Amino acid sequence: MTTEQAFDLSVKASLDNLQEIRNYIDQAGARLRVSENALGDLRLVVDEAVTNVILHGYGDSDGDGIVELHMEGDGDAVIIRIRDHAKTFDVSHVDMPQLDTALKDRPFGGMGIFLIRKMTDEAEFLPLPGGGNEIRLLKRGAIQAPGRPA
Amino acid sequence: MATLNIMVGQEQGSVPVTVLRVEGDIDAATHSTLQEKAFELIDAGSSNLLLDLGGVNYMGSAGFRALHAITNKLSDDDSAGLSKSSHLKLLNPTDAVARVIKTLGFDVYLDIYQDKNEAINSF
Repeated sequence: MTTEQAFDLSVKASLDNLQEIRNYIDQAGARLRVSENALGDLRLVVDEAVTNVILHGYGDSDGDGIVELHMEGDGDAVIIRIRDHAKTFDVSHVDMPQLDTALKDRPFGGMGIFLIRKMTDEAEFLPLPGGGNEIRLLKRGAIQAPGRPA
Repeated sequence: MATLNIMVGQEQGSVPVTVLRVEGDIDAATHSTLQEKAFELIDAGSSNLLLDLGGVNYMGSAGFRALHAITNKLSDDDSAGLSKSSHLKLLNPTDAVARVIKTLGFDVYLDIYQDKNEAINSF
Protein backbone atom coordinates (compact mmCIF):
# COMPACT_ATOMS: atom_id res chain seq x y z
CA MET A 1 0.00 0.00 0.00
CA THR A 2 1.28 3.42 -0.82
CA THR A 3 -0.19 6.49 0.69
CA GLU A 4 0.38 10.00 -0.45
CA GLN A 5 -0.90 11.50 2.74
CA ALA A 6 1.49 13.79 4.55
CA PHE A 7 1.04 15.89 7.65
CA ASP A 8 2.96 18.96 8.78
CA LEU A 9 3.17 20.93 11.99
CA SER A 10 5.22 24.00 12.84
CA VAL A 11 5.33 25.06 16.50
CA LYS A 12 7.38 27.15 18.87
CA ALA A 13 10.21 25.12 20.40
CA SER A 14 8.78 25.07 23.91
CA LEU A 15 8.35 22.20 26.36
CA ASP A 16 4.81 23.49 26.79
CA ASN A 17 4.10 22.32 23.22
CA LEU A 18 5.18 18.69 23.69
CA GLN A 19 1.61 17.56 24.28
CA GLU A 20 0.44 19.32 21.11
CA ILE A 21 3.21 17.54 19.20
CA ARG A 22 2.17 14.16 20.63
CA ASN A 23 -1.44 14.94 19.66
CA TYR A 24 -0.26 15.73 16.11
CA ILE A 25 1.51 12.35 15.92
CA ASP A 26 -1.64 10.60 17.20
CA GLN A 27 -3.89 12.35 14.69
CA ALA A 28 -1.57 11.88 11.72
CA GLY A 29 -0.93 8.28 12.78
CA ALA A 30 -4.66 7.56 12.88
CA ARG A 31 -5.07 8.97 9.36
CA LEU A 32 -2.15 6.84 8.14
CA ARG A 33 -3.55 3.72 9.87
CA VAL A 34 -0.47 3.29 12.04
CA SER A 35 -0.78 0.34 14.44
CA GLU A 36 -1.24 1.07 18.12
CA ASN A 37 2.17 -0.20 19.21
CA ALA A 38 3.98 1.62 16.39
CA LEU A 39 2.08 4.80 17.19
CA GLY A 40 3.18 4.54 20.81
CA ASP A 41 6.79 4.17 19.68
CA LEU A 42 6.52 7.14 17.28
CA ARG A 43 4.89 9.33 19.91
CA LEU A 44 7.80 8.53 22.21
CA VAL A 45 10.65 9.02 19.74
CA VAL A 46 9.28 12.31 18.42
CA ASP A 47 8.75 13.61 21.96
CA GLU A 48 12.33 12.63 22.83
CA ALA A 49 13.76 14.13 19.63
CA VAL A 50 11.92 17.43 20.03
CA THR A 51 12.82 17.60 23.73
CA ASN A 52 16.50 17.29 22.73
CA VAL A 53 16.08 20.03 20.12
CA ILE A 54 14.52 22.34 22.70
CA LEU A 55 16.89 21.65 25.61
CA HIS A 56 20.17 20.93 23.81
CA GLY A 57 19.74 22.57 20.39
CA TYR A 58 18.04 25.82 21.28
CA GLY A 59 19.16 25.49 24.91
CA ASP A 60 16.00 27.12 26.21
CA SER A 61 12.88 25.38 27.50
CA ASP A 62 10.65 28.19 26.24
CA GLY A 63 12.52 30.19 23.63
CA ASP A 64 11.58 31.74 20.30
CA GLY A 65 12.89 28.91 18.09
CA ILE A 66 10.66 26.91 15.77
CA VAL A 67 10.36 23.17 15.27
CA GLU A 68 8.90 21.87 12.01
CA LEU A 69 7.55 18.33 11.77
CA HIS A 70 6.61 16.33 8.68
CA MET A 71 5.06 12.86 8.79
CA GLU A 72 4.16 10.66 5.85
CA GLY A 73 3.59 7.06 4.90
CA ASP A 74 5.75 5.13 2.46
CA GLY A 75 4.36 1.66 1.87
CA ASP A 76 4.09 0.13 5.33
CA ALA A 77 6.69 2.54 6.75
CA VAL A 78 6.31 5.90 8.43
CA ILE A 79 8.83 8.64 7.74
CA ILE A 80 9.13 11.61 10.07
CA ARG A 81 11.34 14.65 9.56
CA ILE A 82 12.00 17.14 12.34
CA ARG A 83 13.69 20.41 11.38
CA ASP A 84 15.03 23.16 13.58
CA HIS A 85 17.18 26.27 13.27
CA ALA A 86 19.21 25.51 16.37
CA LYS A 87 22.89 24.83 16.84
CA THR A 88 24.03 21.34 15.90
CA PHE A 89 23.71 18.82 18.71
CA ASP A 90 26.15 15.96 18.15
CA VAL A 91 24.35 12.85 19.39
CA SER A 92 27.40 10.67 18.72
CA HIS A 93 28.82 12.11 21.94
CA VAL A 94 25.82 11.02 24.01
CA ASP A 95 26.59 8.03 26.21
CA MET A 96 24.04 5.24 26.02
CA PRO A 97 22.43 4.22 29.32
CA GLN A 98 24.13 1.33 31.11
CA LEU A 99 21.23 -1.09 31.40
CA ASP A 100 23.23 -3.69 33.35
CA THR A 101 24.41 -1.31 36.06
CA ALA A 102 22.89 -0.72 39.49
CA LEU A 103 20.58 2.27 39.30
CA LYS A 104 22.44 4.30 41.87
CA ASP A 105 25.63 3.86 39.81
CA ARG A 106 23.90 4.54 36.51
CA PRO A 107 24.46 8.04 35.13
CA PHE A 108 21.45 10.19 34.35
CA GLY A 109 20.72 10.93 30.73
CA GLY A 110 21.21 9.22 27.38
CA MET A 111 17.83 7.52 27.59
CA GLY A 112 16.16 9.74 24.99
CA ILE A 113 18.67 9.01 22.23
CA PHE A 114 18.66 5.33 23.24
CA LEU A 115 14.87 5.17 22.85
CA ILE A 116 15.00 6.94 19.46
CA ARG A 117 17.51 4.41 18.11
CA LYS A 118 15.78 1.42 19.74
CA MET A 119 12.27 2.21 18.51
CA THR A 120 13.01 3.19 14.91
CA ASP A 121 14.62 1.32 12.02
CA GLU A 122 16.56 4.37 10.90
CA ALA A 123 17.42 7.56 12.77
CA GLU A 124 19.66 10.13 11.14
CA PHE A 125 20.77 13.41 12.70
CA LEU A 126 21.87 15.76 9.94
CA PRO A 127 23.11 19.36 9.95
CA LEU A 128 21.34 21.42 7.28
CA PRO A 129 23.22 23.61 4.81
CA GLY A 130 22.87 27.16 6.03
CA GLY A 131 22.25 26.18 9.62
CA GLY A 132 19.86 24.10 11.65
CA ASN A 133 19.35 20.38 11.76
CA GLU A 134 17.11 17.67 10.43
CA ILE A 135 16.28 14.45 12.22
CA ARG A 136 15.04 11.76 9.84
CA LEU A 137 13.19 8.85 11.41
CA LEU A 138 11.89 5.76 9.65
CA LYS A 139 9.82 2.97 11.16
CA ARG A 140 8.99 -0.03 9.00
CA GLY A 141 5.91 -2.20 9.36
CA ALA A 142 4.08 0.61 11.12
CA ILE A 143 1.14 1.01 8.73
CA GLN A 144 -1.49 -1.66 8.67
CA ALA A 145 -2.96 -2.90 5.42
CA PRO A 146 -6.60 -1.95 4.75
CA GLY A 147 -9.06 -4.35 6.30
CA ARG A 148 -6.97 -5.13 9.33
CA PRO A 149 -7.92 -3.66 12.68
CA ALA A 150 -6.10 -0.38 13.38
CA MET B 1 0.51 22.07 27.82
CA ALA B 2 0.35 18.82 29.71
CA THR B 3 -0.55 18.92 33.36
CA LEU B 4 0.23 16.34 35.99
CA ASN B 5 -2.08 15.70 38.90
CA ILE B 6 -0.81 13.80 41.92
CA MET B 7 -3.07 12.59 44.72
CA VAL B 8 -1.35 11.39 47.87
CA GLY B 9 -2.74 8.81 50.27
CA GLN B 10 -1.41 6.88 53.24
CA GLU B 11 -1.87 3.12 53.56
CA GLN B 12 -0.78 0.69 56.23
CA GLY B 13 0.67 -2.68 55.30
CA SER B 14 3.48 -4.29 57.25
CA VAL B 15 4.89 -0.77 57.22
CA PRO B 16 3.39 2.64 56.34
CA VAL B 17 3.20 3.19 52.57
CA THR B 18 2.63 6.51 50.82
CA VAL B 19 0.64 6.07 47.61
CA LEU B 20 0.99 8.64 44.83
CA ARG B 21 -1.78 8.36 42.27
CA VAL B 22 -0.39 10.10 39.19
CA GLU B 23 -2.66 11.30 36.37
CA GLY B 24 -1.52 12.92 33.13
CA ASP B 25 1.47 12.71 30.82
CA ILE B 26 4.99 12.61 32.32
CA ASP B 27 7.26 14.45 29.89
CA ALA B 28 10.09 16.99 30.07
CA ALA B 29 7.58 19.71 31.00
CA THR B 30 5.94 17.82 33.87
CA HIS B 31 8.45 15.34 35.32
CA SER B 32 9.69 17.83 37.89
CA THR B 33 6.18 17.95 39.39
CA LEU B 34 6.45 14.24 40.22
CA GLN B 35 10.02 14.44 41.45
CA GLU B 36 9.39 17.47 43.64
CA LYS B 37 6.27 15.93 45.21
CA ALA B 38 8.12 12.68 45.94
CA PHE B 39 11.11 14.52 47.41
CA GLU B 40 8.76 16.62 49.56
CA LEU B 41 7.13 13.47 50.94
CA ILE B 42 10.48 11.76 51.57
CA ASP B 43 11.79 14.85 53.35
CA ALA B 44 8.63 14.82 55.48
CA GLY B 45 9.33 11.24 56.57
CA SER B 46 7.84 8.91 53.95
CA SER B 47 10.23 6.05 53.34
CA ASN B 48 8.06 3.72 51.24
CA LEU B 49 6.45 5.07 48.07
CA LEU B 50 4.02 3.32 45.75
CA LEU B 51 3.53 5.11 42.44
CA ASP B 52 0.13 4.35 40.94
CA LEU B 53 0.67 4.91 37.20
CA GLY B 54 -2.79 3.78 36.10
CA GLY B 55 -3.66 7.33 35.03
CA VAL B 56 -0.45 7.93 33.08
CA ASN B 57 -0.94 7.53 29.34
CA TYR B 58 2.53 8.70 28.39
CA MET B 59 5.91 8.61 30.11
CA GLY B 60 9.09 9.60 28.30
CA SER B 61 12.71 9.50 29.42
CA ALA B 62 12.18 12.56 31.62
CA GLY B 63 9.78 10.49 33.72
CA PHE B 64 12.42 7.82 34.10
CA ARG B 65 14.96 10.41 35.20
CA ALA B 66 12.48 11.31 37.93
CA LEU B 67 12.09 7.64 38.93
CA HIS B 68 15.87 7.33 38.95
CA ALA B 69 16.26 10.34 41.23
CA ILE B 70 13.47 9.20 43.58
CA THR B 71 14.96 5.70 43.80
CA ASN B 72 18.37 7.13 44.61
CA LYS B 73 16.94 9.40 47.29
CA LEU B 74 15.17 6.45 48.91
CA SER B 75 17.99 3.95 48.55
CA ASP B 76 19.83 2.57 51.53
CA ASP B 77 23.52 3.28 51.61
CA ASP B 78 24.18 -0.45 51.75
CA SER B 79 22.05 -1.28 48.72
CA ALA B 80 24.18 -2.52 45.90
CA GLY B 81 24.19 -4.50 42.70
CA LEU B 82 21.08 -4.95 40.62
CA SER B 83 18.75 -5.59 43.55
CA LYS B 84 15.29 -4.06 43.32
CA SER B 85 14.39 -1.04 45.37
CA SER B 86 12.61 -2.01 48.58
CA HIS B 87 11.29 1.53 49.02
CA LEU B 88 9.84 2.48 45.61
CA LYS B 89 7.40 0.29 43.70
CA LEU B 90 5.09 0.80 40.72
CA LEU B 91 1.41 0.00 40.40
CA ASN B 92 -0.67 -0.67 37.31
CA PRO B 93 1.27 0.98 34.47
CA THR B 94 -0.55 1.16 31.13
CA ASP B 95 0.69 -1.15 28.39
CA ALA B 96 2.46 1.73 26.63
CA VAL B 97 4.30 2.81 29.79
CA ALA B 98 5.10 -0.80 30.71
CA ARG B 99 6.80 -1.29 27.34
CA VAL B 100 9.09 1.69 27.95
CA ILE B 101 9.83 0.53 31.50
CA LYS B 102 11.03 -2.77 30.04
CA THR B 103 12.93 -1.17 27.14
CA LEU B 104 14.89 1.04 29.53
CA GLY B 105 15.51 -1.85 31.91
CA PHE B 106 13.70 -0.28 34.86
CA ASP B 107 11.85 -3.55 35.52
CA VAL B 108 15.21 -4.78 36.82
CA TYR B 109 15.23 -2.05 39.48
CA LEU B 110 11.57 -1.63 40.39
CA ASP B 111 8.85 -4.15 41.27
CA ILE B 112 5.64 -3.69 39.27
CA TYR B 113 2.25 -4.72 40.65
CA GLN B 114 -1.24 -4.86 39.20
CA ASP B 115 -3.01 -5.24 42.56
CA LYS B 116 -2.87 -2.38 45.06
CA ASN B 117 -3.21 -4.47 48.22
CA GLU B 118 -0.53 -6.88 47.06
CA ALA B 119 1.74 -3.93 46.33
CA ILE B 120 1.15 -2.32 49.73
CA ASN B 121 1.78 -5.58 51.58
CA SER B 122 4.99 -6.20 49.63
CA PHE B 123 6.89 -3.41 51.43
